[in-house]
Amino acid sequence: MTEVTSQEINVHEKTPVDMGGAETTSGGLRFSPLVDIWENEQGLTVVADMPGVTAEGLSVDLKDSVLTIFGKVVQEVPERRSLRREYEVGDYYRQFSLSEQINQEKITAAIKDGVLTVTLPKLAPAQPRKITVVSE
Amino acid sequence: MAILRWRGPGFGSPFQELERMRNYMENAYSALANGVNQLRRNYTGVFPLVNLAEDEEKLYLTAELPGIDAESLDLSVKNDTLTIKGSTKSEPAASEVNYHRRERELGNFRRSLTLPVKVQTEAIEASFKNGILTVTLPKAAEARAHQITIKNS
Repeated sequence: MTEVTSQEINVHEKTPVDMGGAETTSGGLRFSPLVDIWENEQGLTVVADMPGVTAEGLSVDLKDSVLTIFGKVVQEVPERRSLRREYEVGDYYRQFSLSEQINQEKITAAIKDGVLTVTLPKLAPAQPRKITVVSE
Repeated sequence: MAILRWRGPGFGSPFQELERMRNYMENAYSALANGVNQLRRNYTGVFPLVNLAEDEEKLYLTAELPGIDAESLDLSVKNDTLTIKGSTKSEPAASEVNYHRRERELGNFRRSLTLPVKVQTEAIEASFKNGILTVTLPKAAEARAHQITIKNS
């Protein structure tokens, strides 16, 4: 009989966003957040890890079937001496192309404990329409 | 008075040449070491990654824990070792939905780390905000730097 052991979390180092040589104007770092995306009959759900991002610093945008998520991290720089630095702090940015038809008006986004959840409801499937052929 | 006089056009002293080679090797080694340090600073491979900073009075530890159930977070300090434990919130089962991507890590974690100085264990404070855990650890009296005033006699 096997004992059910809960899964241990692996370390993921943050992946800097490839800007294709371009730099951010603010000079800050920009990371690609880890995401989970799942789909059911109602729609798509995108969940992204963006620790340090508040609702004010968040922007979610859908344009031409491209979903863009951006999270600004405001970093306070107190007078402290760093003893150990295992992770870097920076903004989050990632884009996805959506193949599904999304009901743009019903998109919702929420952020809690550094996790962004975007729900993208699908458009009602197109009703099959009977086309009458008129013979002349 | 110089005993040896090796200076000539394009011909340095043999000691200069050795010195030049030594400098070259040292530079090469330090460049290599810096490169490695930038890639893997204090990499431990244990979740969560932490940053540790200090000022005169306190140590400040921060860790990014997005989606961690605040209820599950457990901090303890024993001697000089701080242990952080917790687990993530669960997501819908794969049988209920179709996953397109699954990059986020779910499960349990536990990390211990040795603190560089003694701390006042009873005065440790922790907060969890926007997915970032911040632990403030006041240094023990003997660990603080003492300012010594010099009397002007």
